[in-house]
Amino acid sequence: MPVPWEALIPFGLVTVMFGVSGTLLNVSTRAQNLGKPIRHNIDNWDEMMMRRDEQLTGHKRGQRDDPVPPAGFETSSVWQTEKTT
Amino acid sequence: MSSYQPGSVQTRPYVDPTPLPDDIPKVQELGVTSGPLKSAAFFIGAYCKEYNEDFMLCKAENRDPAHCLKEGRRVTRCATDLINKMRENCLSQFQEHWNCLERNNQEYYLCRKPERSLNACMFEKLGLTKVIPGTPQGQKPIHEVESPIFKAIQK
Repeated sequence: MPVPWEALIPFGLVTVMFGVSGTLLNVSTRAQNLGKPIRHNIDNWDEMMMRRDEQLTGHKRGQRDDPVPPAGFETSSVWQTEKTT
Repeated sequence: MSSYQPGSVQTRPYVDPTPLPDDIPKVQELGVTSGPLKSAAFFIGAYCKEYNEDFMLCKAENRDPAHCLKEGRRVTRCATDLINKMRENCLSQFQEHWNCLERNNQEYYLCRKPERSLNACMFEKLGLTKVIPGTPQGQKPIHEVESPIFKAIQK
């Protein structure tokens, strides 16, 4: 009796679909994080530091170890405020 | 639109409309981002202990920003000084460690190997050791344990 190869098509399809979606997700998240893995379990401290990193380098995951900041760093922070009166 | 929308193009350089008065000394801020800072954190604690403690005690008295400007300047200068020394002496180990931290969600326990080489270099060149305050008396500090339970999956 010949091998029922038509029955294996769904297996192949499901594997390919899982693989493609997983790869796309990985590529997309790494591209958003400058090639590094995503940061998880971020608390308020990490949010604040990533905001500071964005001021210093232009991207939330950008890093630099030069102790001299770029020009205008002292005045580049943005405070969200609202009018209450 | 009630939230802040940053402009896409800067037409003029930004001039601070309310700068600090001239009698307050100016200190350059530290331009190091979070990864290298986390890598250098325990060494900043060892090197700048007195200034950091002064600042924290001052803030505990009064949270007003104007009250602790002097201590704050000292903290910034000390940290900048240490970062400069680290870069002079242990640049490659420092960069190796903070790059490893960046790839691993900035967790220390996943980057013990580069950390050990950085600690060795810092002790040899600058005499600073990493001390985790609050380790129980008899226990080895977690960064010195040879085969920890929580570790990276791959060697």
